[in-house]
Amino acid sequence: MKTLASLIALAIAMPAAAQTLAVTHAEAWTMEGDAPVKDATIVIENGRIVSVAAGGVAPADARVIDARGKPVTPGLVNGATQIGLVEIAGSSDTVDTSSADDRNPGYDVSRALNGNSTLVSLARADGLTRALVYPSPSRRAPFNGEPAFARLRDGVDILDVANVGVYTVIGGGAWDRIGSRAAQWDSLRNALTEAKRKADGPPAAEGKKDRKRPSPPPHGGPGGRHGGEELLAAVLRGEVPLAIQTHRESDIRQAASLAADFGIRVIIVGGAEAWRVADQLAAAKVAVIVDPQVNLPFNFDQLGARQDNAALLAKAGVMVAVGQAGGVIHTNYNAGMGLREGAGIAVANGLPYAEALKAVTVNPLAIWGRGGGTLTPGADADLVIWDGDPLEPSTNALSVIVEGRETAIRSRQDQLAERYREVR
Amino acid sequence: MMRMRQLGLSVMVGALLFAAPADAQRSAPLPWQEDPYPSRYQAPVASDMLLRGATILDGAGGRIDGGDVLVRGGKVAAVGKRLANPGVPEVDATGRWITPGVIDVHSHDGTYVLPLTEIDREASDVAEVATPNSADTWIETAVNAQDMAFDRALASGVTTLQILPGSTPIFAGHSVVVKPVRAPTVWGMKAAGGVQGFKMACGENPKSWGADDDNEGPTSRQGVIAYMRQQFADAQRYKRAVEQARAGAGAMPPRDFKLETLAGILAGDVRVNLHCYRAGDIAASLGVAKEFGFRIGAIHHATEAYKIPGLLREAGTCAAVWADWWGFKVEAQDAIRAEAPLLEQAGVCVMMHSDSPADGQRLNIAAAKAAAAGRRIGVDIPPERMIKWTTGNPAKLLGLDKQVGTIAPGLQADLVVWSGDPFSIYTHADLVLIGGAVAWDRAKPPAGPVSDFELGRGGVRP
Repeated sequence: MKTLASLIALAIAMPAAAQTLAVTHAEAWTMEGDAPVKDATIVIENGRIVSVAAGGVAPADARVIDARGKPVTPGLVNGATQIGLVEIAGSSDTVDTSSADDRNPGYDVSRALNGNSTLVSLARADGLTRALVYPSPSRRAPFNGEPAFARLRDGVDILDVANVGVYTVIGGGAWDRIGSRAAQWDSLRNALTEAKRKADGPPAAEGKKDRKRPSPPPHGGPGGRHGGEELLAAVLRGEVPLAIQTHRESDIRQAASLAADFGIRVIIVGGAEAWRVADQLAAAKVAVIVDPQVNLPFNFDQLGARQDNAALLAKAGVMVAVGQAGGVIHTNYNAGMGLREGAGIAVANGLPYAEALKAVTVNPLAIWGRGGGTLTPGADADLVIWDGDPLEPSTNALSVIVEGRETAIRSRQDQLAERYREVR
Repeated sequence: MMRMRQLGLSVMVGALLFAAPADAQRSAPLPWQEDPYPSRYQAPVASDMLLRGATILDGAGGRIDGGDVLVRGGKVAAVGKRLANPGVPEVDATGRWITPGVIDVHSHDGTYVLPLTEIDREASDVAEVATPNSADTWIETAVNAQDMAFDRALASGVTTLQILPGSTPIFAGHSVVVKPVRAPTVWGMKAAGGVQGFKMACGENPKSWGADDDNEGPTSRQGVIAYMRQQFADAQRYKRAVEQARAGAGAMPPRDFKLETLAGILAGDVRVNLHCYRAGDIAASLGVAKEFGFRIGAIHHATEAYKIPGLLREAGTCAAVWADWWGFKVEAQDAIRAEAPLLEQAGVCVMMHSDSPADGQRLNIAAAKAAAAGRRIGVDIPPERMIKWTTGNPAKLLGLDKQVGTIAPGLQADLVVWSGDPFSIYTHADLVLIGGAVAWDRAKPPAGPVSDFELGRGGVRP
């Protein structure tokens, strides 16, 4: 801990308003190629990375952080969490994960994001700088709502980008809403067909007929910007993905067929049995956000759960990200540590190390249609200096830089621990 | 009939106090010392071997680099450097690590059986919740031995598990200690020779249940503690009546399985594992134990034990903790990852526990996370002490420390040969020995599913 304390002291001693930051003597995992750049100097200006060069010289006016040969990675990105929507899972008045409003298929989670949550500061201390935040099943089948990306900067405003896709659940968890999964797939296909018909514009004769039919349920809850319908049109145009949280082989095959039939981008979230469909998913360019820790089936949809799921998918050419790390309890509470532990387990079970790093940096962004997650000139300056291998749970983050600024990485837990350290 | 206590110490004390009239009565176990469900565990055939050249963490705080372990007749025969080979097969463990088998003192395997189904949500076997006092229940009568979580635990280096009832009742029932070996029923897995365990709970879980309409039981923290005291007061009277009857003074009271069990706690024959989070709840419960003259074996979860280490140390009570479960309920807000290193530093007996078939496969990783959090605040616990949190200390809690939990001559050879540092996420359990028999060999995994459940199901294997 001497290292972390002295590093923080060093940072505090520097002028706070500096615009230029240089990380020197870094083992820089740029995410280009499968090996790090040794003894790298990373120069950051105005929130962006300017250069990464072996043995590079820090600009004279730069605030310098000496990484002392330790690994530096892009800030980690969790592909599926509910961080910022949950404080105490056991107390529903502190949970904002789902809409109970029948009129709100486009439930927009971004309006509930809370950067002051204790979950956020802990995740950031564990090296997480971005997270996909998804909605829980709503009462409006088949859609849950619209996920958002959170940027774990200091302060309350952690919204990165809202309305990044449409989210649905197929299988066991959705039975309460519309029954059999056959009805769930039917409902989803009907909604996409309907949206496509509207987007294409109805012929005049059919338009008349429509007016005689009872009006469809109103879309968009109070204040909903996209109101579901608009974003669904974007799904059909291939601009944003449709994320389907599902696990069973039969459902994953249905998802791959759906992607092909409608020509849309589909993401599988969870995908415990996705390894059985790996070739078909690769051919349909369906990405999978997996939890590599799972080797026991939570329900009958997940009987094929295995810890080499990520390795088998990646080998077949499927783009894989890590998310929902650690199952139920850790999904939100340890969105940073759980992510690293999950990626480490994936490596222990056959995923190449560089692929695992991509699954927690580049891929979770790319899957949602976003660039970044690299240490390359022009990239967002989100990066982490570690005191060891970032995929080892025994490693601590020494410094977490978000948008070019060093953030507070003393979590509430650190503060409690310090307060009671001398108690005997 | 297996006795729970080999020594029968309390029987001897009883004899002195009450001058029992007959030898036969004096030697007969008291009702709470009887085990109605004796073990039928058959020790597997052991293989003698000499494990060579490993980094050994002995579970008692010792470390040997480049050390050997000689296993003979199911026991550890010797441990040290450059041991002479008496003519047994050698295993090259160079670059690998050897520790005692991992012990998880808080499992629900066999009762929280994955995959869950609707019937589990409706009526779970994790605990009997008809009443806040389920002291008469024995969790082993519910355990499904075909739970595949046992196979996952074994393959991750776990050699002993305590299955506890859940924390909804205040008095939740008897625990059972098992080995993760294949048997048609739990009694073929049951470990003998330890102290009978028992589960109690305080705080949010029991009070929330009591507060639900139609449920019996207290609705507040103070109500839970008051309920405990009344039950123990009743048990005191029952225990006295039994002991007096045994000494020839008065009639034996009718059997009451709840009071019998609580009397066993008062007598020190039944060891309490108490689910408790907040410092105040822990202190109040330790107060009840002091008032009624018994020792709580361990506070489980104990998320605020780091605030009151002195109370635990003085009571001789251990803390069984997670590394990083926190926040999911109101009483878990102040849980910290650095709890285990802080308690270790304060001289409290601490151990990792899982409460989960997933985390139960990675108790050493939990220890690694806790140690890392300790380093963040300048408390550095080395590997040879960390390993006590998953081996030596849990063995003491279960009363099995003369059999397992450490590597020493004469102890049962429950050992794990790890592919590397046991606190690394990349490390696998290469070889797991239970009683000197190879229970798991990563180089020769079973050809198909091990549990009956997985057998013949589409989708499970490639």
